[in-house]
Amino acid sequence: MAEAAKTAVYLCAGCGIGEAVSIEALEAVATGESKASSCRRHDHLCDDAGVATIQADIDSGAAERIVIAACSERVNADRFRFDGTPPIRCDLRERVAWSQPPGAEDTQMLAADYVRMALAEAEKSAPPSGQADPGTSKTILVVGGGVSGLTAALESARAGYQVMLVERASDLGGHGAKWSKRMPHRPPYRLPQDNDIGALIAAVTAEPRITVHTRSRVVSTAGGPGRFLVTLDSGGTTIEETLGAIVVATGWRPYDATKLGHLGYGASPDVVTGVELETMLGAGELACKSDGRRPAAVAFIQCAGSRDPDHLPYCSSICCGVSIKQALMIRERVPDSSVYIIHDELRTPGTAEAFYRAAQAAGVIFMKGKVSAVGADLTVTVEDVLLGETVAMAGLDLVVLATGMMPNATAPEAEAIAPQPAPDIDPLAPILAAGATVPEPGSEDASEDDSGPEIGSILNLQYRQGPHLPILADGFADSHFLCFPYETRRSGIYTCGPVRRPMDMAESATDATGAALKAIQAIEAAAAGTALHPRGGDLSFPRINLDPCTKCRRCTVECPFGAIDESDDDYPVVEVARCRRCGTCMGACPVRTISFENYSVEMVSAMIKAVEVPDEFAEKPRVLVLACRNDAIPALDMAGISGTRYSPFARVVPVRCLGSVSALWISDALSTGYDGVILMGCKAGDDYQCHFVKGSAITQERMGKIAETLKSMMLEEERVVTHEVAIADARRAPELIDSFLDTIAEIGPNPFKGF
Amino acid sequence: MAGAETATYDLGFAKWVAGNISGADKLSMCMQCGMCSGSCPIGTQMDHGPRKLIMMIRAGMRDAVLSANTLWNCTQCYNCTVRCPRGIPVTEILQGLATVAVAEGHAGGEPTARFSEAFWWSLAKFGRTDERLVTSRFYFSAGLAEGVRKSRENLAIALRMIKARRMHLGAPHKIKRRKNLQAILAKAREIEARGAGEGD
Amino acid sequence: MAAQGARSETILVVGGGIAGITTAVEAAEAGAEVVLVERGPSLGGRVAQLSRYFPKLCHPTCGLEINYQRIRGNRRLRVITMATVAAVTGDRGAYTARIETRPRHVTARCTGCGDCARASQTRVPNPYNYDLDTVPAAHLAHPMAYPMRYVIADSVIGTPEADRIEAACRYGAVDLGEEPGAFDMVVGAVVWATGWRPYDAAKLQPYGYERHANVITNVEMERLAATTGPTLGQILRPSDAKPAKRVAMIQCAGSRDHNHLPYCSRICCLASLKHAAYLREAYADAEVDIYYIDIRAHDKLESFHARIKADPRVRFIKSKPASISENEAGDPVLHGEDTLTRDLYETAYDMVVLAIGMAPTAGDAMPEAALETDEYGFIVAAETLGGGMFSAGVAAGPLDVSLSVQSATAAALKAIQAVRGG
Repeated sequence: MAEAAKTAVYLCAGCGIGEAVSIEALEAVATGESKASSCRRHDHLCDDAGVATIQADIDSGAAERIVIAACSERVNADRFRFDGTPPIRCDLRERVAWSQPPGAEDTQMLAADYVRMALAEAEKSAPPSGQADPGTSKTILVVGGGVSGLTAALESARAGYQVMLVERASDLGGHGAKWSKRMPHRPPYRLPQDNDIGALIAAVTAEPRITVHTRSRVVSTAGGPGRFLVTLDSGGTTIEETLGAIVVATGWRPYDATKLGHLGYGASPDVVTGVELETMLGAGELACKSDGRRPAAVAFIQCAGSRDPDHLPYCSSICCGVSIKQALMIRERVPDSSVYIIHDELRTPGTAEAFYRAAQAAGVIFMKGKVSAVGADLTVTVEDVLLGETVAMAGLDLVVLATGMMPNATAPEAEAIAPQPAPDIDPLAPILAAGATVPEPGSEDASEDDSGPEIGSILNLQYRQGPHLPILADGFADSHFLCFPYETRRSGIYTCGPVRRPMDMAESATDATGAALKAIQAIEAAAAGTALHPRGGDLSFPRINLDPCTKCRRCTVECPFGAIDESDDDYPVVEVARCRRCGTCMGACPVRTISFENYSVEMVSAMIKAVEVPDEFAEKPRVLVLACRNDAIPALDMAGISGTRYSPFARVVPVRCLGSVSALWISDALSTGYDGVILMGCKAGDDYQCHFVKGSAITQERMGKIAETLKSMMLEEERVVTHEVAIADARRAPELIDSFLDTIAEIGPNPFKGF
Repeated sequence: MAGAETATYDLGFAKWVAGNISGADKLSMCMQCGMCSGSCPIGTQMDHGPRKLIMMIRAGMRDAVLSANTLWNCTQCYNCTVRCPRGIPVTEILQGLATVAVAEGHAGGEPTARFSEAFWWSLAKFGRTDERLVTSRFYFSAGLAEGVRKSRENLAIALRMIKARRMHLGAPHKIKRRKNLQAILAKAREIEARGAGEGD
Repeated sequence: MAAQGARSETILVVGGGIAGITTAVEAAEAGAEVVLVERGPSLGGRVAQLSRYFPKLCHPTCGLEINYQRIRGNRRLRVITMATVAAVTGDRGAYTARIETRPRHVTARCTGCGDCARASQTRVPNPYNYDLDTVPAAHLAHPMAYPMRYVIADSVIGTPEADRIEAACRYGAVDLGEEPGAFDMVVGAVVWATGWRPYDAAKLQPYGYERHANVITNVEMERLAATTGPTLGQILRPSDAKPAKRVAMIQCAGSRDHNHLPYCSRICCLASLKHAAYLREAYADAEVDIYYIDIRAHDKLESFHARIKADPRVRFIKSKPASISENEAGDPVLHGEDTLTRDLYETAYDMVVLAIGMAPTAGDAMPEAALETDEYGFIVAAETLGGGMFSAGVAAGPLDVSLSVQSATAAALKAIQAVRGG
């Protein structure tokens, strides 16, 4: 550190803080032992006058770093926003005044420790200065030229961005170009609509900002947002391009109907798939393949391969609507025809219910049942559950299997020669029930290399963690599919359309438009040198000091976003634009190789050590709580807001993600005399709730090694615990702290106290 | 019962019903939710609820549909019709099917059908229903022995009704100008005969 | 009215639920200037009232918290609460929006200390908990409110209660004289994310929502299960606070019904599956019966359906129940036909949950603006509106959270194109 910055402390006495603690005593802590250059008190710091005071000190040079000892960092962020001087927030309200008895000695000690910790944080950190050389390419690569890819390209271009559109086939349009008509997505949602994909292709072709490469594949992708270095094989020619962000819209392929022999596929030419029927419908006169007759009786068999543990576990979503569309077209072309749709659950969600009604009104017969056999003479044997009979339907001319969608998360030809990449999240894991045993979290091996096969990759990422976008257990491309559906574990790469979830053309177009926006965001963030979701705007990034590095590779393996590669001599190399700033690498590192300007092993160690630990005779234990900023901290805030009292002996340090927790902090705490450590992170496992995907899971895995450390220090294993704390755990989180202190009371004080 | 006839899903019957029974053009809208059957206050007295009857129509089970007691046990409370989420006039369709069942001789043994015949006889003849004549005609429609047995069984009730002046023993009450009523009925029959098979 | 030729690159987002928040924050993070207008005192909308999301059973406030962080960190985004958009005139690139504000009676000086609530002696219905309980007249909209600023119920203004509340505030943040206001704003594009309301359960007459205490709606079930709800997360039935262990869910309560909502509300099947999970988590001996027409667990959500179906204590009964009565124990009794066994049932439960559908709020009070709606009141999908007005989330159609977020992210781009003249 260069010459110490002038650190000004602003103590707010409002909101009960003044009643709970002695502000004067805190001033003494700040300016005395902790060496703040100045300290001011205010009764309403977030008011205009308070904010003006701070701004004046910054302007006069009296305050180079500021510590705001007032409320939680979660409130008044807009009030305490000073350009170039990000404040260090010290929570004396939610975590002290609102959760501790006023005037108590322990309350005062708690507040004093938080002031000391904030000053240590100020001393050991600096406002992030940003990247020197961010990538500035503003061109978007769109992979896939179907409805999703075309839409992503066109919408990006219309927002002013250059686009490179890559399609494997010789023509644009994908599956969508083969459809005779499309499902209705416009009011009144009742009749099949004309397929307007031709207009979309024409618009893309005419758009000067879009360069189309057909018969092309991505051979390799390196770099990161703002400077992806992409190599194409374009009909034998190699093209290299620097690109800003990537949209993967590789779509789907129909489920292989030859696996559906039990539904008669292959037994007769008149058993066809829905995709095959599209071709027949597009060919003009509808005719049976066997003898060219007009089909007068047609049965559709739904869920042919979907929702079937032997085939596809998921619902392919579009098949009910597609069969309804085709049934309506057959009824229109062959007016005296009998058309049956044999289904299990009929799924026409939302306004598509009107499409179902339209088919009923047109005389299409819907039957609920399970087809047990389709004979070579097209006799369909169905267990008709609504009649309670097994029915042999004879005299059919055409049987249509509504086959499902398979995502092209890998190139289609790869399927035959290689297994899919390692499944990631098991969608069929059981639901938690009261009284049932809970599987041990963190049992999965976090060091597992999920790179998958070397072939069949869409992007051929030149990343340490392998060439593929992570693929989920159901075969779809990675997506945090709830609050932030576009987020993947590969920064600046967004998936859309059926490669990430079964969806129809209208949904794909919407999805692609959203993905285009995310790509634009990635480009703009990369150019500004700031982080992507969820730490948008963050200028800090991991800096690597190679001196202590042991080349252990934990950081490159554990980064949830594949942001760290290895150099030829096995040192870690961070591709900053790929980094989400969670700090999992920092937590992975056994030494102090990785740090952020405003978040480092050294900084948190200093905060931990800044706490005054009373000796064992004082009977005032100390517990360190390392709590995830996204969920555990808000939960503790909520506890404060509701006035929940909990132990004054806990010292809480917010962490970016539990994955960033360094084992060194735990040994620092225990060797400083803390009696125990609680780690509070988000839910790990299949239904993970970690915003950095794996941080929490990785920490749970690391706990094994921490237990070994404790043993080597001759300390009880119970002194360090990990808890999954959800944001709604406002009551549970304080209870966890209190019960941990009970445990500590049983075990007795840390024998290292006073050393 | 359904067991006598298997489902074929030959749509001939369903199309005929849709074209010939008032309100049955909406039958295709049924999504088999069961609201009608569940809403029926005498559902337990039916061979099949309306919901299943609709599925049987689709399945082409003509005889089973027309001989189902569903058609006769319907009390026309209209619960099914007002609650049907697809707006199907279930009551109206059951009534139409009952008419077909009578015409095609499927309703022979049904007490409700026989009662309806007795009721209609009285109404058409006198313009009013006569409790004594309707009842005895209904009793004896099941045969002489059954008529005698039923009449005896209900004698006490009949006497109490007479005492309470709810039934009388003299000549049946008639409306004035019965000729006009008969002319109306004749015209109605003529219209019905003319419209048969058109089904709108 | 706007000055002649006044143009603006600002995007106005109407509605502060998940769709509006997403549109606003995604557009702002892509570099656009955004104003987000919310009718109520806090952002969060309907999702803030959910206990957890399907299929991950995670807490909506977790995602909201991240979005709040994104809002706090972004200077291009301005949030106006207690406000509605009454009218929009003009064209793409130069709209004039009439914003009407309602008094909060608490100014920006509020620190969120809660002294006003502690001083408050009058309790008012709590819309956050669907009026299942009450709150002090001065209150936070909910514990995760954004902005973290109190609100004073209109009903106490002019009473001694209001004076008590004003006297309790040490920061001069109470403004009892605040009047409704209105102002015009020139914006370049408008995204309508006005969301939905639960369909009125009282209209489902045979189910007796108003007659039977233990017949509740799915949105109320969310509040019972939520730790911030009236029962602090214990699933107790309303009549006698007995644990609700034998529970029936009735699907399509209002949806897919020409007497009510003709469309499928899409989310209700999944919500009921989630409620089954809540109950199984809460009580080892819970038994859940789900009455359905079709279980619409579309796409990947089928795995959630499969997981719940694998639980032997959750039964699926293909039937739209005909009516609900009540027995002497106060148990609701379901009547109907099991369409697969063809038996008529009469089954008593501790509690019945009506899986109520979503009705678009845009249909309630349409602003004066050239908006096209479909026959149900949904604002027709974004790309079809020629000008610079778009819809997002359930304002555009019955969508779940993930689809709403997609729709909102797409609307953000369309709005950016509109203001940049693309």
